[in-house]
Amino acid sequence: MKKEILTIKKLFFEFKKDNEILTDISFELAEGEILGILGPSGIGKSSLLRLIAGLEKPKSGEILYYGQILSNKDIFIQPHQRGIGFVFQEKVLFPHLNSLENVKFGVKGNKIEKEAQAKKYLGLLKAEKFEQSYPNSLSGGEQQRVAIARALAPEPKTVLLDEPFSSLDIDLRKDLRNDAKDLFKKTNTSCIIVTHELEEARVFCDRILRLEKGSIKEVTI
Amino acid sequence: MSLINFSLKSLWQPLIIIFVLILLAPIFFILISLFGEYNANWNHLYNYVLSKYLLNSFFLILGVSMLSTVLGVGSAWLITNYNFMNKAWLEWAIILPLAVPPYILAYTFTGLFDSYGTLNEIIKNIFDTKDNYIFFPSVRNIYGAIIVFSFTLYPYIYLTTRMAFLNQSRSLMEAGKLLGFNSWSLFYKLAVPLTRPALIAGLALVIMETISDFGAVEHFAVQTFTIGIFRTWFGMYDLNTAMQLSSLLLIFIAFFVVLERSERNKMSYTYANSTFKKTDSKNLKGLRSFYAFLFCFTPLFIGFILPIIELTNWAIFFPSENFFSENVIHSFFNTIWLGITAGIICTMFALFINFLKRFDDSLFLRSSSQFLALGYALPGLVLAVGIIQFFSFLDYYFVSYFLKISIVGSVIGLIVAYTIKAYALANNTIESGFQRISSSIDDVSLSLNGSKFSIFYKIHIPLLKTSILTSLLLVISEVIKELPATLILRPFNFDTLAVSTYIYASEERMYEAASPAMLIVLIGLIPIFFLSRIIRDSRPGKT
Repeated sequence: MKKEILTIKKLFFEFKKDNEILTDISFELAEGEILGILGPSGIGKSSLLRLIAGLEKPKSGEILYYGQILSNKDIFIQPHQRGIGFVFQEKVLFPHLNSLENVKFGVKGNKIEKEAQAKKYLGLLKAEKFEQSYPNSLSGGEQQRVAIARALAPEPKTVLLDEPFSSLDIDLRKDLRNDAKDLFKKTNTSCIIVTHELEEARVFCDRILRLEKGSIKEVTI
Repeated sequence: MSLINFSLKSLWQPLIIIFVLILLAPIFFILISLFGEYNANWNHLYNYVLSKYLLNSFFLILGVSMLSTVLGVGSAWLITNYNFMNKAWLEWAIILPLAVPPYILAYTFTGLFDSYGTLNEIIKNIFDTKDNYIFFPSVRNIYGAIIVFSFTLYPYIYLTTRMAFLNQSRSLMEAGKLLGFNSWSLFYKLAVPLTRPALIAGLALVIMETISDFGAVEHFAVQTFTIGIFRTWFGMYDLNTAMQLSSLLLIFIAFFVVLERSERNKMSYTYANSTFKKTDSKNLKGLRSFYAFLFCFTPLFIGFILPIIELTNWAIFFPSENFFSENVIHSFFNTIWLGITAGIICTMFALFINFLKRFDDSLFLRSSSQFLALGYALPGLVLAVGIIQFFSFLDYYFVSYFLKISIVGSVIGLIVAYTIKAYALANNTIESGFQRISSSIDDVSLSLNGSKFSIFYKIHIPLLKTSILTSLLLVISEVIKELPATLILRPFNFDTLAVSTYIYASEERMYEAASPAMLIVLIGLIPIFFLSRIIRDSRPGKT
């Protein structure tokens, strides 16, 4: 039995703008586990990831990470202090920075350490060829490789992926998915991936949860 | 963390409140005059001249509205929907008259069309007529003023309606054609009604500029409301009645501000959706192509080329005051440093407020931003009246008491006036720059690197470089053109380019007015260049 590192307890959140609602969401994530969150569009999957990352504040409930409270009614730890990486659905590389500078952005340490770390992760994601390229000259798949490298370079224990492969064509998606999964397993990084495709979740994840009308249920793979 | 948030909030909120209060205070001082005493001068104005000011202003607005609508909408429609001779450069060149303030066109018009003006002299020489023969009628009247305002302000209507025409989907026009509309009925039954919010928004700007003007109407001796305020203040030496007149003008302007805002909001409904198909331009040939060219070239010729030719003629062939004379150089540097100072203040506050709005879209920040943006509609003359009153109050109760100095008549008044007038320009530019940065970029930065301040200087500032530069240039060009507030608030013996031009022109020393006027136009061209690029790139679906 692997150690549970992330615990979500009775989370409640209402997102008025998109009319989304999450009620009584509870689940755990184990160390090195890849957990899939499945559900139709607009059900609140992305909002759930944003709550875990600290980009939104829940109305009630608690989020614990390695036993430390990240968020409850009195405490709210800021996103960058949580040590959780995030890869977005949209390709949001900083357009004024090249790939290497993008990946260096979140890495701590001196100049040399930052560069070495960024190069290491670009290499692991097979993106070292375009480390000097700017986002506008990269294809969708290349951009997403850099985005994953950027999320992993600070070496977070957990990474949140918000439909990261959805905009890629089938072959590219398969390649990147395999590379990313290998990397997560190699580095023992826990991961929560949000998707609306059951097949993708089956291939990529160790365990799948389905989000339905604000609540969450386990799916048998 | 909440402690840090609290201290940040406690720091920025008072700063914004002070900024808003300073900028709103002049308006407050003007409006409270409405509740003060009405003296004998007011009764005199009310009984004898107020109706004249109102009628003249009304006919001026009516004439300018009609002519500038024809010029602006007509050229926008032709350029969007047809291919004709020289369209490629006309598309951007047609907004060049924006660089010419109405008062400069007024000065060149008198130089061209007066009885001994350049054009009348040319006609006399060509046809060898008598010395007292006058071919062109006098322009020093309300008709001349209507032409001057229309030919310098129509680009506002061109810009808003062109954007709206560009955003009209081809499918709509095709539906119209299937219903049996010909080109003309497509234009006035479909395209124009769809463009109505854009037209009203542009027209409101034209009307506000016309009502606010002082230089051109003064030169043409058209007795409008602003002239009334000026004469009451400097002729009757009655600041109180001038303020009461200003209050009325302010209320009138407020109506157009509300109109412009509401119509601008509606403009988004006419914009393209995901099914947008760009309209194909139809090719015009032969005479039709020439007529289309002529229609678009005429306003450019009258509003820009003609005054430039006349100013160049004066500056080069009668160089009594050239570009390098001491007075012009002094005026130039005074104007530039005032422009840069106001540009930096406006841009910094616009950056600051829009950055805060991005993370905290509170009612306080939204309403502060909207209040501050109102300043662009304030006539310079009214603004000057308000600032003088506000500064006199500050001097009396605070400044001269503690510092033993006076801020009335100092450059501070000018900088406050420019900041109020130009803040909206900076705010619009910076706001749209921020809108182009995806909020996910902020989310990524927050999850990776933390502090909002580091996001600001590592991500936002580099991405906003063009917006910051554009904002600075727009404010500088607004400052360079501003005349009435500068004329009244400037320190003793402190001239700007606009003031130098005005003083020479009011003494009919046109040749000497040419160099500073040319510099105003040349500097005004820089932001126009940026505007042209925005227009060129604004068609939805453009790759």
